[in-house]
Amino acid sequence: MGVPLVTQSNELPTAGVELSHISKSFGSHLVLDDISMKVAPGSVTALIGPSGSGKSTLLRCVNLLEIPEAGTVTVGSKTVIAGRKVSEKDLLALRREVGMVFQSFNLFPHFSVLRNVAFPQERILGRSREEAEARALVLLERVGLKDKAHQHPGKCSGGQQQRIAIVRALALDPRAMLFDEPTSALDPEVGVEVLAVMRELASTGMTMIVVTHEMQFARDVGDHLVVMADGKIIEEGAPNAVMSDPREERTRRFLSAVLER
Amino acid sequence: MDLVQYFPRLLDGLGVSLQLTAISVVCGYLIGLLFALGAASIRPWLRWPTLVVIEIGRGIPALVVLYIAYYGLPSIGILLENFTAAAFGLTFTVAAYSSETIRAGLQSVDNAQREASAALGLSPLTTFVRIILPQGTRSAVPALMGLAIQSFQGTSLAYSISVNELMSQSYQVSTVTFEYLKVYAITGLIYVAIAVPATWLSMLVERRLARGHV
Amino acid sequence: MTVLLAVLAGLPLTLLVTVCAFAIGLVGGVPIMLGLRSRIFPVRIATRFLVDLIRGVPTIVWLFLLYFGFSFGNFRFNSLGAAVLGLGIISAAYLAEMYRGAFLVLAKGQSEAAQALGFGRRTTFVRILAPQAIRTALPSLTSYLLALVKDSSIASTIGVTEIVFAATTFARQNPESAGLTPFFFAAGVYLAVSIPLAVVARRLDTRLRRSF
Repeated sequence: MGVPLVTQSNELPTAGVELSHISKSFGSHLVLDDISMKVAPGSVTALIGPSGSGKSTLLRCVNLLEIPEAGTVTVGSKTVIAGRKVSEKDLLALRREVGMVFQSFNLFPHFSVLRNVAFPQERILGRSREEAEARALVLLERVGLKDKAHQHPGKCSGGQQQRIAIVRALALDPRAMLFDEPTSALDPEVGVEVLAVMRELASTGMTMIVVTHEMQFARDVGDHLVVMADGKIIEEGAPNAVMSDPREERTRRFLSAVLER
Repeated sequence: MDLVQYFPRLLDGLGVSLQLTAISVVCGYLIGLLFALGAASIRPWLRWPTLVVIEIGRGIPALVVLYIAYYGLPSIGILLENFTAAAFGLTFTVAAYSSETIRAGLQSVDNAQREASAALGLSPLTTFVRIILPQGTRSAVPALMGLAIQSFQGTSLAYSISVNELMSQSYQVSTVTFEYLKVYAITGLIYVAIAVPATWLSMLVERRLARGHV
Repeated sequence: MTVLLAVLAGLPLTLLVTVCAFAIGLVGGVPIMLGLRSRIFPVRIATRFLVDLIRGVPTIVWLFLLYFGFSFGNFRFNSLGAAVLGLGIISAAYLAEMYRGAFLVLAKGQSEAAQALGFGRRTTFVRILAPQAIRTALPSLTSYLLALVKDSSIASTIGVTEIVFAATTFARQNPESAGLTPFFFAAGVYLAVSIPLAVVARRLDTRLRRSF
């Protein structure tokens, strides 16, 4: 069995996410058009669609990296209403429930790998340095990167950096995890390592929302598939059902381009 | 304000400052181009002396260059009147600084351009003058514009060798009127009135050039 | 030889003016940079205006303004004070621009990752963004310091007894015999000071680059 990725300290149940009537424009361009989406706790939702469909923007609305102009965002029991001023305290509280993994990893280059994972725990959860670093080493061991602990991210490969980024987010015991095209910047072979970590995370019951082009992952690991285009959700349902027999023409077109390359 | 009567004097000084700027920039950039070519030359007997001259030009304060041109040169028989000395001194400094900018600009031109030109059968000279130089100077334009503005401000140092440019005039006016604060403030604003719009213009040019390129 | 010694007598003040003004600039540049990056429009505009104003006025005019023009009751600046403050304020404006440039180059992902983790704005700035920005800005900062050593010569015009002042004084006191020599020595001293500084700067740059 080994040490589980999500350890005992994570007694809190994972949270569900609900987005309700979210709208957002960039200038005159309507990027999100009255979108509502529900993510059950412990489920894995894959978000797919053509470029410019707004999937990344929608994902970033969950932890308010993008602030929607209308609608509400609910993570667990915390709700944020667009338009009403959000206090810094509430913003931070919400972000601390949700972990995010970026396409370009975004590890802190001036910290060692160990400090990258430990420092947020110290600063945000108030853990002592020993405790934070111990937990960091446990998590790094689980993804097979314990020997990289004292190196700087610049010395690690892309796949390694992304796994470290996942660990960095997990170290804060989030109740949901967001993934923004986590393997798009990686070679296919390297992406497999990262997807393996994500699969294992899913099996522990973490709520996950994944924006991705990895159709195999969406089909195998996803509990729910959401297809977006032009700022709207055009189709959603069980991954197998949607991918083998899409209802919408647009979905059909997108899937045939992606699946039959 | 009784200072208004002194405005014509200040504006005369400004005229001299602008003349000095024009001379030092035009001559300075041309000589700077020669320096840049010399510094990039494959012939060591050309490259090393040029590099030394450039480093000296960039390493010595402009004020010292001015003093050398005016007070120092007479001892070896070269007597320059103040405006000429200032012109020579500032030109030298501008040439040294601009040579670095121009050299960087020329180097930034993709090697592929040279190769394409050679493949077409154009001579090295034509390649340089018609292909490399235009592109190289174009990328150096924003920095060169900034340098021109700085050299305009640098003409204020010619005060120290009694050239009747703006700073000298304002000093004289201040000693006559005793209105030090007001006079220097007005002088500062005159410099700003030219330097700041010029800077905005150069930023506009930079943005326009960047857009037109890729 | 006496010429060289006479000129070298000005070196301590050259270094003093340079170091003090640079220190003022390093520290003063921070609030100015924050103002330039402020999200409050009037603050940003006012700071931009201030920076353009400071950089638009030639150094010698600033020094004369502070030395001759500034009197607060009984207080007037002595030449050293005016020189250090004037060069310090100008440095702050230039260094603020360099700080700002360094922040602009910072990958947007860094602040996003910090925000996503839940760091507050202050922690994000102080522990994540600023350390990286300083490393990026360091080459520009060191080349500015080298330029400042030369600009300290302008202090001679308001009577600070640094290198150029020493050289011109010597030349004035020995009109027949001096000639080019004091100025050549002055030039030499400036070159001698800037070369080791440039070497240290380059070594610092490569060392920092390696640690990333």
